[in-house]
Amino acid sequence: MRKKLLINIILFTIMAFSTVAFIGFIIWNKPHRNIKDATAVEINAVDLYRALSHDSTKTKSLFVNKIVAVIGKVKQIQKNREGAQVILLQTHIPDASVNCTMEENSTKIKAGDTIEIKGICIGYISTDEDLGLPGDVFLTRCYTTF
Amino acid sequence: MKRNLFSFILFLFVLQQANGQLYYTKNGSISFFSKSPLQDIEADNNQVISVLNIQSGQIEFSLLNNAFHFPKAKMEEDFNENYIESDTYPRSSFKGTLININKVDFTKDGNYPVMVKGDLTIHGITKNITANGAIIISKATISAYSSFTVFVKDYDIKIPTIVSNKISEKIQIKINCSYQKK
Repeated sequence: MRKKLLINIILFTIMAFSTVAFIGFIIWNKPHRNIKDATAVEINAVDLYRALSHDSTKTKSLFVNKIVAVIGKVKQIQKNREGAQVILLQTHIPDASVNCTMEENSTKIKAGDTIEIKGICIGYISTDEDLGLPGDVFLTRCYTTF
Repeated sequence: MKRNLFSFILFLFVLQQANGQLYYTKNGSISFFSKSPLQDIEADNNQVISVLNIQSGQIEFSLLNNAFHFPKAKMEEDFNENYIESDTYPRSSFKGTLININKVDFTKDGNYPVMVKGDLTIHGITKNITANGAIIISKATISAYSSFTVFVKDYDIKIPTIVSNKISEKIQIKINCSYQKK
């Protein structure tokens, strides 16, 4: 009787440890957000830039760390230090952009095209105002949707 | 009236000269690496704004902490929520000077060792640091590189006791930026 109880306790302990380890493994290895299939907040590049370049907590909470689909006119296409394509969408300020780092490079997009880009909105950042360089709104892990 | 006009033209001239010395990037790269017994931790941020004044040697970097991309989603989540606290401290920055900028010949291709000194702000804490780096001039393109170490405790970043033996106190930061003229 005591032997049976001991076996049950050992089995229960092993099962409990295995369950915890399994849950831990699943959490540790959970995938990044699926941008392509996610529902996005739709907005145009000028409005997004206007909303985030003014330091308002309310507008930040609407867009920052959210998946957004931004429609805008391509100003320039660049490559970053890792070779990923960076598409700059025009805003109402000449030196400022919605700066989108792409997951996939495309040869079809060119300056002047109006496109929609879906990605995670990181937020707005600039340097000190006395340097005269306006900041950008940044999107990361982006895909074009049309 | 003439005097005011002259002053205005002089101001515009000075402004243009100052702008002529400014180089910038909005897609610079900063990465960090931490060796740990369980798993090495590394992350990249390729959305770094940096401005370099090649005359005065003034240099600035600004980045959003939530733009660091980790191989694992859970690492990214822990970094933003528990360690760097991105909601409270969204931005990290550096503002300093290249001490030996006069040793760099911006008209001639080459790899010029430089030393940078200034204020590094992470997690709302500002510390004065000095780091070695290099300015590389290649085909009229200016690039800046640096690698230095920071300690998490210097920036009041608290590591939970349960994982403290798995995460190194020492973080290696690497900077790699390529500039264009403003």
